[in-house]
Amino acid sequence: MASVEILFKRSVFRAVLIYTALLAIACFWLFPIAWAVSGSLKSGGEISEPILFPAHPRWSNYTEVFTLMPFWRMFFNTVFYAGCITAGQVFFCSLAGYAFARLQFRGRDTLFVLYLGTLMVPLTVTVIPQFIIMRVLGWTDTPWAMIVPGLFGGAFGTYLMRQFFSTLPTDLEEAATLDGCTPWQIYWRILLPHARPAVAVLAVLTWVGVWNDFLWPLVMIQRNSLATLTLGLVRMRGEYVARWPLIMAMSMLIMLPLVIIYVIAQRSFVRGIAVTGLNG
Amino acid sequence: MTSIDTSAAPRPWRRRAWAGRLFVAPNLAAVTVFLLFPLGFSLYMSFQQWDVFNPPKFVGLKNFRELFTSDPLFLIAIRNTAIFTLGTVAPTVLISLVVAGVLNQKLKGIGIVRTIVFLPLAISSVVMAVVWQFVFNTDNGLLNIMLGWIGVSPIPWLVDPQWAMFSLCVVSVWRAVPFAAVILLAAMQGVPETVYEAAKIDGAGGIRQFVSITVPLIRGAVTFVVVISIIHAFQAFDMVYVLNGANGGPETATYVLGIMLFQHAFSFLEFGYASALAWVMFAILLVLTVLQLRLSRQRSMEAASGLG
Repeated sequence: MASVEILFKRSVFRAVLIYTALLAIACFWLFPIAWAVSGSLKSGGEISEPILFPAHPRWSNYTEVFTLMPFWRMFFNTVFYAGCITAGQVFFCSLAGYAFARLQFRGRDTLFVLYLGTLMVPLTVTVIPQFIIMRVLGWTDTPWAMIVPGLFGGAFGTYLMRQFFSTLPTDLEEAATLDGCTPWQIYWRILLPHARPAVAVLAVLTWVGVWNDFLWPLVMIQRNSLATLTLGLVRMRGEYVARWPLIMAMSMLIMLPLVIIYVIAQRSFVRGIAVTGLNG
Repeated sequence: MTSIDTSAAPRPWRRRAWAGRLFVAPNLAAVTVFLLFPLGFSLYMSFQQWDVFNPPKFVGLKNFRELFTSDPLFLIAIRNTAIFTLGTVAPTVLISLVVAGVLNQKLKGIGIVRTIVFLPLAISSVVMAVVWQFVFNTDNGLLNIMLGWIGVSPIPWLVDPQWAMFSLCVVSVWRAVPFAAVILLAAMQGVPETVYEAAKIDGAGGIRQFVSITVPLIRGAVTFVVVISIIHAFQAFDMVYVLNGANGGPETATYVLGIMLFQHAFSFLEFGYASALAWVMFAILLVLTVLQLRLSRQRSMEAASGLG
């Protein structure tokens, strides 16, 4: 009896310990965000008060964001850039990934090793020449600069898709080849529909990467009418110094679409990061 | 397999080869123009003196010499980057191990906690930096309000050069842990249950099991997290730019290499000098990564021989 009691006490103790740890962890990661949400609903005077739930939430902070800056314009820009690049990445990376996985041609494996090598190259090294290319093309401060560099795919997405296609069984394609299907038909009708999990991972990572990107729009875009949301936030912060409720409201508005995507596609999201080790 | 294909049906084989080249072509063009060419061009530029307005002039190793011998800010940036990398990576790895270990428990409500902890993954570092600025605010920030409750006078988190680097590290760790924890948690979930059974029979407690079984078994993932975190921290820019300003202030407290590169390239338009700096950073990163991989391989070999 006594030993059972000790075991019981020990397991209760352990559960309490773990739940305390869980609570502490959840609080630490949630609190800054919760504080920001609360701040976005306060008046300027309430900002310094340690209240999480303001008595009269000021939703007008949010409407004020819309009137003080071209929020919807920036929102549309960001959606447009992210949409184009995501579509382009998914299409061109899966197409090249299919070729690397299944279609034999001379020099293919050497080329793939080269692709792997370019994954090592940091943005630090490539960003200045990319900037100069855009200048020479006269694309700075135009939508082209935001879209074209990512539109036709890249090494990372190709690698991801190639690895996925390599794991698919080949019998479906062999049957299709015997039936006279062209490589394009095999890609479009058979492989792409089967690649949905990998496509979801690539699409989510790309979308989030573009949405959250800061350095590239910062050096490329001057006009507010072409700015992305993150760029708009930093500019607005400079203009409305210390008007915290306003700045927090804007921050929350930028966060919200991604939080929604995250909640819906949490699985693709987390798996994408676990598999690739990449986070925009 | 290919040889059978060729002998049986040479034409489809050839068609497949052409399709392969065609399918790779647009992607390869993009990689060439926006990655391979910039890589070579950046190296070329590092030996030139060039602003946008005058044609580039070959100056040999002058940029590199200047960087190492006559630019006091470079030494400051190196020192700050080293402090920042250490101050971010070490806590990130330790904390993310604990967090992943706790999140790996099969408990009621664990899904909600996972969702909360992984939420920062979806939020841009720019937004997070702005939010943390609000938290760190000296006069009415959350942290100083809470410190006030226990009688500590307000700390100028971002204003005082002595505190600025510390604050930056706190935010970076907060942002980096969810990412590291995702990878470590995935690795922990790959450890088969049976491994723990012997330990349970031996009466080893949860913490003992975690330290002496789980962590050694996911060593590969830990190494990966360390390498990736170093690469991220070493090139930090977004977070510093937004949290501490375009000059890595106050004074030079958070002047890291990423900020220095941005300044020289896009504020001063010294493309040659900035490219030289970029290549120095790239070289340091490569050396760090190779060293780290070597070290961890050696360690795992020692561990393996110790077992044998």
